Amino acid sequence: MRKAVGIGGLRRQEAERRALSQKGTELAQREIEKLREQVAVMKSGLEDFVRVHHSEIRSDPVFRVQVQRMCQLIGVDPLASRKGYMAELLGVGDFYCELGIQIIDICVGTRSVNGGLIELDELRRRLIQRRLKGSEPIVEDDIRRAISQLKPLKSGYRIIDFGNRKMVQSVAREMNSDFSTVLTLAQYTNKFTKEDICLAWNWDQDRIHACVNDMLCLGIIWIDDPEYSEPEYWVPAFFHSNYS
Amino acid sequence: MASTATAGTAGEPFQLPEMYNFPPFFTRQPNESTWKEQRQQWCDLVLAYYRHNRLYSMSLAEAVTEPPFANRQLRRALRVDVLREIVDELVKQGNAVWVGAKNTKDTCLVFWRKPEVWATMIHQWASERGLLNAVLTVFELANGDDTAGQEFHGLDAATLRRALDVLQSQGKAQLFVGTSDEDLGVKLFA
Repeated sequence: MRKAVGIGGLRRQEAERRALSQKGTELAQREIEKLREQVAVMKSGLEDFVRVHHSEIRSDPVFRVQVQRMCQLIGVDPLASRKGYMAELLGVGDFYCELGIQIIDICVGTRSVNGGLIELDELRRRLIQRRLKGSEPIVEDDIRRAISQLKPLKSGYRIIDFGNRKMVQSVAREMNSDFSTVLTLAQYTNKFTKEDICLAWNWDQDRIHACVNDMLCLGIIWIDDPEYSEPEYWVPAFFHSNYS
Repeated sequence: MASTATAGTAGEPFQLPEMYNFPPFFTRQPNESTWKEQRQQWCDLVLAYYRHNRLYSMSLAEAVTEPPFANRQLRRALRVDVLREIVDELVKQGNAVWVGAKNTKDTCLVFWRKPEVWATMIHQWASERGLLNAVLTVFELANGDDTAGQEFHGLDAATLRRALDVLQSQGKAQLFVGTSDEDLGVKLFA
């Protein structure tokens, strides 16, 4: 038996390889073509859908969330950017843009009272209050979305959890982990004393003192210092929400 | 003090703000920027409360024993020295003046409406009634039948005097001092 080691054999092998890879490219191209078609169909379907349900999307928050989920699942986020074809179609880009501005307005306006920390529900209540009557209702998801749109501003807006309370932080700073711990202590009563901290975690006095002082300086807590009893520290961001 | 309410304000109790139920609102906050905000909220509250109840003068020591400076339910009250700082701010903003003995800062007039505005109202009333160039007593301006129903009816003597001083400085009034403050007279000009 003779192995195909000659020039002819090498050429034949080369030709086979070329043919195979050509076939492969062809197949892949066909596949891509098919996918493109599918995406196009899906996109136009989605466009039609959105066009038809335009007003419901704007007016019904539950529906809006569902449409967003669906869009995200197939990898388009029509509502995230103003420039997206869908956003223009819907005017929903404007919706979040507008909401974002209102959120900033409220956060900045209340900052001196609450140290840049506002409960999400309270923010929502204020948003609803200040928006024109008859405008679209706002749900938590809308606020999350609007806040995530504010990211490019590098203003540090984010949502943080303290126990069971969701807070929107509007001042760019790392929330000291001691702060978070202490705030968890206040989540049900809105307030705490230095003794509460000591009893709960047995921190030494210096640590408690430093933590409380820093929080006072940032305006996250207010001191209530009546003459006849120990000072108590209140969290304004928690307090307001009791009156919604 | 002329604190009897006049037309339009009877009935409706004053709606105290949310902060009134926030215990730390009665403690001066140590952090400067928080305190500035707190002080401004107190200033707004004072003006709104005094306007609603048509109050004109404040004795600080008395004021801190009652709303809006004390909250009996919470057992919290503003300290006099803190209230003094708040009034200082009102004075700075032109919404109050200290009265009484110099530098004691125990009593003030609260201008929920500026003397200039009272002055314009009084002058307008007098010209509409054809009372320019006539001599009126200051007492009848505030308490006479002729001014019943006017915004400035029931105005306290000290604030009224400030308003008339404004008119005098504008050359629109001449004050005649009688034997006591009670029978102070005034002549208004066009």
